[in-house]
Amino acid sequence: MGFFDNILYGFQVTFQPINLLFCAIGVLVGTLVGVLPGIGPAGAMALLLPATFKFSPTSTLILLAGIYYGVQYGGSTTSILVNIPGEASSVITCIDGYQMARQGRAGPALGIAAWGSFIAGTIANVGLMFVAVPLARAALSFGPPEYFALMCTGLIIVTYLAQGSILKALMMALVGIILGSIGLDVITGLPRFTFGINELTDGVGIIPLVMGLFGISEIFVNLEESLEREIFKARIKNLWPSLKDWAQAKWAIIRGSIIGFLLGILPGGGAVIATFVAYAVEKKVAKEPERFGKGAIEGVAGPESANNAAAGGSLIPLLSLGIPPNPIMAIFFSALMIHGIQPGPLLIKQNPDLFWGLVASLYMGNALLLILNLPLIGMWVKVLKIPYKLLFPLVLLFCLIGAYSLNNVTFDLYVMIFFGVVGWIMRKFGYEGAPLILAYVLGPMLENALRQSLLISQGSFMIFITRPISAIALGFAFLMLLSNLFPYFKKQREKYEEFKE
Amino acid sequence: MKALDQTSSLFWLLVSLSVFIESLRLGIGTLHNPGRGFLTLGASGILGILSLILFLRASLKKEEVKAQPFFAGPLWKRILLVLIVLILYSRLMPVLGYLISTFLLMTSLFFILERKKIVSVFVSSILITFVTYFVFSKWLNCQFPDGLFGF
Repeated sequence: MGFFDNILYGFQVTFQPINLLFCAIGVLVGTLVGVLPGIGPAGAMALLLPATFKFSPTSTLILLAGIYYGVQYGGSTTSILVNIPGEASSVITCIDGYQMARQGRAGPALGIAAWGSFIAGTIANVGLMFVAVPLARAALSFGPPEYFALMCTGLIIVTYLAQGSILKALMMALVGIILGSIGLDVITGLPRFTFGINELTDGVGIIPLVMGLFGISEIFVNLEESLEREIFKARIKNLWPSLKDWAQAKWAIIRGSIIGFLLGILPGGGAVIATFVAYAVEKKVAKEPERFGKGAIEGVAGPESANNAAAGGSLIPLLSLGIPPNPIMAIFFSALMIHGIQPGPLLIKQNPDLFWGLVASLYMGNALLLILNLPLIGMWVKVLKIPYKLLFPLVLLFCLIGAYSLNNVTFDLYVMIFFGVVGWIMRKFGYEGAPLILAYVLGPMLENALRQSLLISQGSFMIFITRPISAIALGFAFLMLLSNLFPYFKKQREKYEEFKE
Repeated sequence: MKALDQTSSLFWLLVSLSVFIESLRLGIGTLHNPGRGFLTLGASGILGILSLILFLRASLKKEEVKAQPFFAGPLWKRILLVLIVLILYSRLMPVLGYLISTFLLMTSLFFILERKKIVSVFVSSILITFVTYFVFSKWLNCQFPDGLFGF
């Protein structure tokens, strides 16, 4: 089939009533989750995943993609109106978005965020179509050493881009690998690290793990503080940005889209980092950088475009290589595995309905979000007014239901509560959950690739250096690790110079 | 942060040592044919080294910035209560069934988060219990335990 035939086929799949319904539910739930703090996109996906078991993998992926996109849209609403980011990817929007709201320009801020997200989402979809297929074809020639190297690089990048200490992020990645190895060994079929608990033979479930680390721990952190918050009370008007707003924001949207898309593809990258980079770039290229922080519309348009473009871009490594680049994609990965689909270079060829249906649904989801977000902004503001005292018990209940309904065993509830406490303590000690989750998912694949590579090479690690792709990937990862030492050496040199003087 | 880093690094050192020993017991195999403890041995080894680096780095820090106490918020006792309720719920759900245990869970959570009028707490809890039951059990086909009373 030709390129346009594929797109048409994708729209045929998307326009099936069940897929349209799933797309609409996904974007609605996503926006809701984005507006409300606490549950997060990973938690929401994990919650709805068990409900998709009786539906096709295509419908499931459309639902999850809708949630992921919707969260990026919804997160901006709280950032602009309340100065509290609904999601981590909307943190940077608070700076100028809230200032715009305080100046009576909440409408244009919300409007440009929605339009920027729509344009960026569309650009990312086009990029996804053009990049994923050739990349998947190229990946067919990859063997275990290449996969091992690419996964190592992804893990190193995710730790390198960690918001806190890189050392701690690396430690968390290693803990993730160890956690991922709990259960039956893939090659020998024998159990390991199960402590004699039968339920652990299948390993630690990703849903209770994610719900605990992100959902429950987030609630625990919030429970320590006061449950009161201030909502922006002014009337929201002029949701359609003026011509002047468009003139100021248009290049920010384009730049944000490109930055977001490229950083989304990068293993370890994602929406959060993309927003920070986009904001920094906008400030750098601005003629009057002093406007930033005081309500510059580019400070909203750039990051909001970047986070949506990154959401589209991050689907590329998953769908073409079978490597999830971030924790959200790790949930996508698990969803595919649960539905019996092996993510990898053959996915597009063997499941064209899934890939092209998903691509078409992203266009549909983007359009739906624009339709939903602007006219329904009043409803989302009302949702914001739900008191935490009502919200938190509900979120806790949803987490419990989500964790239980995957396997219908209470053991998963204990696992979730345990990781909720672990996640809460990790936050206190300055450890991040993202590298742990990504390593947990990549761990078994990494181990398989390593053991197979060593079997092929008859025990020689040179196989990773003699093959060009793995050598380049590992060399890049090594350089990234090494670059962490540069500030240390610089500091030592400065000390030495001071001493000499 | 110094004390927190020291404590956490020692904890991870202990974890890495345990995993290292268990990996050896599981068998690391040979380079030609790696065993089931091969990767975890490597991962725990590196984790141990990194934990030691973190410990040393924290210990060698000269400036001791006054760390936030572990239970920083004034309301951390709420977490303890919520935790107990969640564990009790996990224990009681297979015995009492979804409807009764969820009602008890919601009532307890509402009381812990805000002491409101009993009637409004009960009404909200009943509503949430039945709505979630119908959405998840009847509509989305999630299978909740019936419990002793058959509902």
